[in-house]
Amino acid sequence: QHGRVKLKSTAQQEEEKRKEREKKLKIYVAARDAIFTKRMEGVLDDEALQLTQQLLSSNPDFATLWNYRREILLHLETKMYEAELLFLESCLKVNPKSYGSWHHRGWVSARLPRPDWARELGLCDRCLSLDDRNFHCWDYRRMVVKMSGVPVDQELQFTDRLIGSNFSNYSSWHYRSTLLPLLHPESPDPPSPCHQPSHSSPPPSPQTHSHRVCEEQLLKEYELVQNAFFTDPNDQSAWFYYRWLLGRAEREEMISCVFVSREEERVAVAFSRPVNASSSGLMLVLDGQPQRVEWRSVHPHFRHSPVWICALPPGTISDIINEHNLTVHWTEKHTHRDSSFLSGRSELSVEKTSVLQSELQSCNQLLELEPQNKWCLLTIVLLMRALDPLGYERETLSHFQTLKEVDSMRSAYYGDLCSKFMIENTILKMEYAEVRVFSLSDKNLTMLCHLDQLLLVTHINLSCNQLLRLPPQFAMLQCLEVLEADDNAIENLDGLYYLPKLQEVSLKNNQISKLSDLQLLTSCPKLTCLDLRGNPVTQIANIQSELTELLPSVTDLLI
Amino acid sequence: MLDKHADYIAAYGSKKDDYEYTLSEYLRMSGIYWGLTVMDLMGQLTRMNQQEISDFIKSCQHDCGGVSASIGHDPHVLYTLSAVQILSLYDNVNVLDVDKVVEYVRGLQQEDGSFAGDKWGEIDTRFSFCAVATLALLGRLDAINMDKAVEFVLSCMNFDGGFGCRPGSESHAGQIYCCTGFLSIAGQLHQVNADLLGWWLCERQLPSGGLNGRPEKLPDVCYSWWVLASLKIIGRIHWIDKSKLRSFILACQDEETGGFADRPGDMVDPFHTLFGVAGLSLLGEGQIKDVNPVLCMPEDVLERLGLHPDLLS
Repeated sequence: QHGRVKLKSTAQQEEEKRKEREKKLKIYVAARDAIFTKRMEGVLDDEALQLTQQLLSSNPDFATLWNYRREILLHLETKMYEAELLFLESCLKVNPKSYGSWHHRGWVSARLPRPDWARELGLCDRCLSLDDRNFHCWDYRRMVVKMSGVPVDQELQFTDRLIGSNFSNYSSWHYRSTLLPLLHPESPDPPSPCHQPSHSSPPPSPQTHSHRVCEEQLLKEYELVQNAFFTDPNDQSAWFYYRWLLGRAEREEMISCVFVSREEERVAVAFSRPVNASSSGLMLVLDGQPQRVEWRSVHPHFRHSPVWICALPPGTISDIINEHNLTVHWTEKHTHRDSSFLSGRSELSVEKTSVLQSELQSCNQLLELEPQNKWCLLTIVLLMRALDPLGYERETLSHFQTLKEVDSMRSAYYGDLCSKFMIENTILKMEYAEVRVFSLSDKNLTMLCHLDQLLLVTHINLSCNQLLRLPPQFAMLQCLEVLEADDNAIENLDGLYYLPKLQEVSLKNNQISKLSDLQLLTSCPKLTCLDLRGNPVTQIANIQSELTELLPSVTDLLI
Repeated sequence: MLDKHADYIAAYGSKKDDYEYTLSEYLRMSGIYWGLTVMDLMGQLTRMNQQEISDFIKSCQHDCGGVSASIGHDPHVLYTLSAVQILSLYDNVNVLDVDKVVEYVRGLQQEDGSFAGDKWGEIDTRFSFCAVATLALLGRLDAINMDKAVEFVLSCMNFDGGFGCRPGSESHAGQIYCCTGFLSIAGQLHQVNADLLGWWLCERQLPSGGLNGRPEKLPDVCYSWWVLASLKIIGRIHWIDKSKLRSFILACQDEETGGFADRPGDMVDPFHTLFGVAGLSLLGEGQIKDVNPVLCMPEDVLERLGLHPDLLS
């Protein structure tokens, strides 16, 4: 029950109300019992229709009654269904948000020999003109459109009309996001139905499918959205939609990196998204010969991981004299990669760049008028990232500071998002410089991400941040030799799991408090230096001897 | 105030001659689940009549295996789940013919992987959740085509990272809870765009501290569950201002009658009482038992069943 205000009343009013409800209850129960009796006796008559109509008019969520009506209707000629449609219309006027009523109407319409879909569309138009956020009605409309083949661009125009009116447009923008990819699919692949969604399988979803909108349409869409948020800078729907439009092109699904270690006779493969290599058809070919290997994910926590590892049969590549040719094939995706590093970032086209630059300019003008508008601030950050992430780094940090002030409820979100962007920038700098040292110290980091892109990193500096842990994903840093993570708030080391090359770890001034927190370090065979000064764990009695016992190969222990 | 809430729930079912109570008979099984779960979370389950409820559930299982909301009503996957949840609290699922329940759920799966609510064919991702949650509690997830079921749910993912009832439907916090819960049980949470969806979800928090279900709507205590649990499942619960939300939830209590309402000043009911208390549990309220964000049941019950659905970190 929603939206029922509690009102105080006198004792007499209470008594009158009580009598009233008692009367209503009696009538209700009598009708309900009569219905159940008839149904149990298998009766399918007009009286049953009358009684159920009586109850459904005020209680359309009583689903069993709609079921009973359907059983009765199945026994009547379909010309009787017209009365049903009229009854349903009156129900929907009273309560336009009942799942039962809408489902029943769909059932009745579909059973008509010649459904009047134009009439149904008209009903939707009227209902949406009263409440354009009624998702029951929108869903019903989508069904009508599908059944009757209403052209996609006609529906796009319908959304244009609704978006033109001021309030509560989210449902319309959402509908647009599903229509656009149908009308203007981005070539080359996959083949898409241009005008009609297929009847048999579910239509592609705007997030998961590579049904991106083609660039020309995309640029026109920017204009449309911009008009919306310039007219009303607090219309959040337009800003949400805009963020979708700005979404960077997804990397194609591919192997992004293969790393081979001669010494450990091991291969590590990084994918552009988490996969399950045990079921993915991952094949290793050495000097033209397929190898029988077993792939394991970096951490038992992950059945799906972006990084997978296998051990090569002993002796296959350990000799330094001969050159070897190693390729990894991902047969599921018909793609393969030789042991090389590839950066899969898409470049913006020239048109898109100039459009985004003018968007950025306009948004900055808006910001001058509305300096506290968080939607505008966040959008400016996203535009800057789309155009030149490294070039705009300073402004980005400044805007995040402002965002945390004007929208303080979401400071943790902005902290994490800023951390993500700083990590992305550092990865870009590392790639340009082609080094394997990764420094993220003193960047206000609240979390770690993109660790799958750090497969080749040998040295990482995470000091002076606000990290609470090294997450399981940290195990993807398969080449890591030196870890500096001083001056954080780290209490959990789940990610230091089987890092084969890790030699030095510095964790000064963190929150490691129990010996068991350090247990996983025993899985790192090359670890010789460990600095734990300034952690609560060092205050435990006999800690020196406990650690020496736990980690005998750590010769350089600082507590 | 917990004692007052427990008193409210304990007394709720006894006023069988109440008009609103009778009108809500069509969802009685879920109503019982809401009441029992909130009582268990408050450590007061023993105040409820286990025998009466078990007998009631037994008489609600139909020949097809499905369970109805009440006696004389038709079976539906919503009430089948509620019944299995109730019996799980009591560690007594064998009150039902479990094999028949499994058959009923299996029979609801469609060719495209979706689930109908009952034989009349309404499709909704809520029912996908009900199906897998039911089977997970019974240890019978192998009964359905999981790959197809996942494919259908993913086809309901929208531009904003959220989920709707059917492919093409607008994102809504209730549906998002069902779909992230589904993906958790199916071991497919990595398919969610957690950063994008997390942002949409944390934007549900309004200046009052309360949460709404989608943009431009009013806050409601039940979204303290749908939104908060979803955030917990995708590992982004810290993106909400916890203390402001806690204040909002507490303001929805009725100090006179006990129970929680959808928003401050409105009438209370068991539905909002459960989700208010469950929301507080997720926020770490000391006196309430830990609640599982996927199944909305006490963690200790799931521990007993050996159920640990995935959560993103």
